[in-house]
Amino acid sequence: MERWTAEDDTVPCELDVNGGAEAVRVPPRRTLADALRDHGLTGTRLGCEHGVCGACTVLMDGRPVRSCLTLAVQAAGSRIETIEGAAPELRALRRAFDEGGALQCGFCTPGFLMLAAGLLRDEPGASPERVREVVSSNLCRCTGGVPILKAVLAAQRELAGSAR
Amino acid sequence: MTGIIGGDVHRDANAPLLAGTAQYAADLRRDGEVHVRLVRSPVAHARITGIDVSEAAAHPGVVAVLTADDLPDVRIPIRLPLFETPEANRFLQPPLAREVVRYVGEPIAAVVATDPYLAEDAAELVDIDLDELPPVTGIADAEAAEPIHPAAGTNVVGTVPLRHGDVDAAFAAADIVVRERFRMHRHTAVPMETRGLLAEVDEITDRLTLWGGAKVKHSVRQALAGMLGIDAERIRVAEVNVGGGFGVRGETYPEDFLVAFLALRLRRPVKWVEDRAEHFVATNHAREQEHELEIAATADGRLLAFRDRAVADHGGYVRSQGILPELLPAQQIAGPYRWEAFAVEATGVITNRTPVGTYRGPGMTEVTFVRERLLDMLAARVGADPAELRRRNLIPPEAMPFTFAMDEGSAVPGLTYESGDYPAALDALLDAAGYDGLRREVAERRAGGECAGIGLAAYIEIGAIGPFEEARVVPDRAGGFTVHVATGSLGQGAETVFAQIVADALRVRVEDVRVDFSDTDEIPMGFGAFASRSTPIAGNAALLAARDLRAKAAEALGADPDDVEFGAGLVRAGGASLPVGKVGEGRARFDKPHPTFSFGGALSLVTVDRATGRVRVQRHVVMHDVGRAVNPALVRGQLAGAASQGIGGALLEELLYDAQGQPLSTTFGDYRMPTASELPEIEVVVVEHRPPESNPLGAKGAGEAGMVATPAAVANAVADALGLEVTRLPLTPDRVRSLLRDAGR
Amino acid sequence: MKPPPFAYARAATLDEALALVAEAGDEAKFLAGGQSLLPLLAYRLARPTHLVDIGRLPGLDRIEPAGGGLTIGGLVRHADLERSAALTGPWRAIREAAAQIGHLPIRVRGTFGGSIAHADPAAELPVVATALDAVFVLRSVTGTRTVPAADLFTGPFMTVIEPPEALVEIGFPAPPPGLRSVFEEFTARSGDFALASAAAAVAPGDDGSARHVRIALGSVGPVPVRAHDAEASLEGAALTPDTVAAAARLAADGIEPGEDAFARPAFRRDLVAALVGRALTRLMNEGDRG
Repeated sequence: MERWTAEDDTVPCELDVNGGAEAVRVPPRRTLADALRDHGLTGTRLGCEHGVCGACTVLMDGRPVRSCLTLAVQAAGSRIETIEGAAPELRALRRAFDEGGALQCGFCTPGFLMLAAGLLRDEPGASPERVREVVSSNLCRCTGGVPILKAVLAAQRELAGSAR
Repeated sequence: MTGIIGGDVHRDANAPLLAGTAQYAADLRRDGEVHVRLVRSPVAHARITGIDVSEAAAHPGVVAVLTADDLPDVRIPIRLPLFETPEANRFLQPPLAREVVRYVGEPIAAVVATDPYLAEDAAELVDIDLDELPPVTGIADAEAAEPIHPAAGTNVVGTVPLRHGDVDAAFAAADIVVRERFRMHRHTAVPMETRGLLAEVDEITDRLTLWGGAKVKHSVRQALAGMLGIDAERIRVAEVNVGGGFGVRGETYPEDFLVAFLALRLRRPVKWVEDRAEHFVATNHAREQEHELEIAATADGRLLAFRDRAVADHGGYVRSQGILPELLPAQQIAGPYRWEAFAVEATGVITNRTPVGTYRGPGMTEVTFVRERLLDMLAARVGADPAELRRRNLIPPEAMPFTFAMDEGSAVPGLTYESGDYPAALDALLDAAGYDGLRREVAERRAGGECAGIGLAAYIEIGAIGPFEEARVVPDRAGGFTVHVATGSLGQGAETVFAQIVADALRVRVEDVRVDFSDTDEIPMGFGAFASRSTPIAGNAALLAARDLRAKAAEALGADPDDVEFGAGLVRAGGASLPVGKVGEGRARFDKPHPTFSFGGALSLVTVDRATGRVRVQRHVVMHDVGRAVNPALVRGQLAGAASQGIGGALLEELLYDAQGQPLSTTFGDYRMPTASELPEIEVVVVEHRPPESNPLGAKGAGEAGMVATPAAVANAVADALGLEVTRLPLTPDRVRSLLRDAGR
Repeated sequence: MKPPPFAYARAATLDEALALVAEAGDEAKFLAGGQSLLPLLAYRLARPTHLVDIGRLPGLDRIEPAGGGLTIGGLVRHADLERSAALTGPWRAIREAAAQIGHLPIRVRGTFGGSIAHADPAAELPVVATALDAVFVLRSVTGTRTVPAADLFTGPFMTVIEPPEALVEIGFPAPPPGLRSVFEEFTARSGDFALASAAAAVAPGDDGSARHVRIALGSVGPVPVRAHDAEASLEGAALTPDTVAAAARLAADGIEPGEDAFARPAFRRDLVAALVGRALTRLMNEGDRG
């Protein structure tokens, strides 16, 4: 049974986080969100731990995922990007959020930024309806989310402009 | 005038929030920290006949397991005398249940372990024997049911009476009386960050620091001191970044006591991070109340009088906000209209559900729904346009300040509205919405087969509650200034507002002013961030403290205060200058013996999909008289955010229970907060009617206002669209369909 | 809301995965995308003793034509279904359903096989699979068997899949010429579980009438159901506003939803009438586009 890691044992786990290889040992049940946070990457936040609020959104191989619904061991072999990384879409997004009043308490902000970074990387020409649908993946209690939608659309315009 | 006040000054606090480096309570780490997991009641009402913690205590990583027997016999106190009665004090909550559990989620035992995963495993091993009792699961059943707190002998917390004028005479003289029963449903704030606490004892000074404070840190310190039996000076309640409060965060909860108690007992850092499932049963619920309202009016729609009988739910215990669930609606149901007479009886009751507290716009949101719905029914009866009916009955500006004097035996001596031009403000709302054109548009859309409607609502918000706040403005050698205030930052941008106020008064750059409200050590006393009071109370204190610093500098320089200039670590006037350090610090206290009542309204345009019952808010406009907007962009953000929450409350969010008192809304899938797909872009109208000189800053408060009329306006719009009466919320698709079905449509 | 403990193994091949789960006993489970399992673990509503991670197995992530029909690997992600160019015409309902599962971050991880095996009565793909007569390929160390959609779902969160079986592939038989399918659902809020859903498919007969009518409903009972009366009312008839409305009513009258505080039975019937009406109206109006 050597392929098994027992429940109270730890698995060596090679994580590629923000471009750097991190060798960690985690119990099988530790979520990616907890593993990142234990590793000091606390910008990935836990708002619900059941996959609805999106505060823990990170990019996995370039696409947004809920790190609370992913075990750390499942992430081995994938590229993980968090808010602490240097995703190229973040500059324009941060500026648009800042100028557009798209954050108040800031707790949900990293999750929204990573969600939007993943969307704009994968679908730079996403329609406004598509952006609205994807922005609705996460919850923001302070602003309701519409200012975030507007900020993502503004960042999309800026990124499209700089790509030309 | 520097132009700093009234400008959309950039909020510097955004940078760490955008970077993800901001630290919230769960992000704090201390060497040797241990984690608390609470064992909570799985049933609504039961006698505890035995607790066996032995298996849990033996589980790997477990440091301690506590039950009520390990604690002093204490209760969480009501935080202000204004909210407290001897009757209410019979229903206070112990930190861990003693003998009886009174709601699903009530803490029974605390398990401490070296890792949160292990703590959760061990908590499952605590074996509790419960002898179930019949639960009281609705307001209507509470008064007649067996007392949930036997020693109190009743499930009635108390009744708040208010009486103004000769109500019976006014009703006797009325041409029309409209009457209806309304119900506002249980829902609550649900900030994105759950609660989190970290307590640590400094071995050298023996002082306890509780991280994770918010809102009312000094009250929490006082309450903990009393329960722990130590001096308040030995306790420091500190605030880190806060992920939204909206009324529920920062009150003294069972967990605040437990974490502090455990840190003192275990002599190591103790951390508790609430999870979302716990949040839905442990953090204050709000709003649930029923009203039977009748309004007397003349045939042409002049309001004469009203009678309101209200019952508000407290849940299983009276929490730190005491009798506010019944006091606040009673004080606000009169609203902005010129009644000749009214009578209110608001009763608070105990039921076997999660205890309640305040949620943004408490009491006023509920009664605005009730009153404004019935006013629309009255408007239909007398054939008046809803806007015209309201305009005709608003208290006119020439009547300001306006007082409803109360008869003897009333809970408060009177209600005084100090300033405002309500009709002009209402017109500003109607103009911004394009009201007349909107009515025509809706008529056309209806002719085209659409189901659309407009709803309007007006309100009075009680805010800027005293008694006082203190502030210090401390210069540093580098030329900067630190403002210490005792309120807090829950994400509103309050730090930017305080910096603007002080920068304006000192005529320095905003970026030279740092704001600190993180710590009870820095200000000896304060009341906190609630009731839209941060800017009007602490903001005035900061303004006066800055003026005090200016006056001290003037005295030191022998100059006129207006001539003093601050900069580069110096104070100058004429040719003379001094290092700013020689001046000392500015200090002030701002007293506010009476609250501020400010006016506002909301207008909503909705469509209803008749087939599925889905309501869409297409436009939503909120208007509020903020007195003076220190930072209009932040004010707009507050109003729009509050309105967004209000739309969620009106259409989607509900904390449901089954007949056994089991909560049904314990996930984000079942408690449906709106997203960008459910909300319109909120339109905001900021009105600035400066209050009297007793408020030198001129601010009336803005944090809650966007909420207050929003559910009422949405409900009125849906009623208008359907042509059917709406008497309860939320207007979920299911409920809208059932209204249509009952009407044979 | 931390998951309870379990032992873990990541399989490199399907055969290894089947062997691992077989040796681990009855309370072992496969872990693919985890988007249904992880929330259950967070609420501790599931307590598997062992998880066999099949998320990266090669070969199970393909969408391929097969003898006029279609096969979809069990590990195909919803986000890949959502933008698959292959899913048009007869298969459009699959794409439309996948696009409405939860939110994008869920769809990036969640798999077709996982959604079917989880058998949530509110899930989208079981409804489409029912409408399109899908056949599920189940593998275990002892062999392979196929189960038609009508026989797979036995109750809420229950199927005939028995550990140590794995759902490796979903097959869709060759459709009649001109078959088109659509999917409609109603959620209280964007991305929520459906309060009701409907998948519909029709093929044009020689005379332009509707043939091979399939209407499947979700979130109205313990398992996806076919609206047989509604189907029969349209079979051989022309799709008109009147026949569509009548079929929608029949579909609504034919269900027996249970009591639910968030959606009472009468409301679910209203939704079914609306959704079936919308689905059929699209099929009626859109001709053979799509």
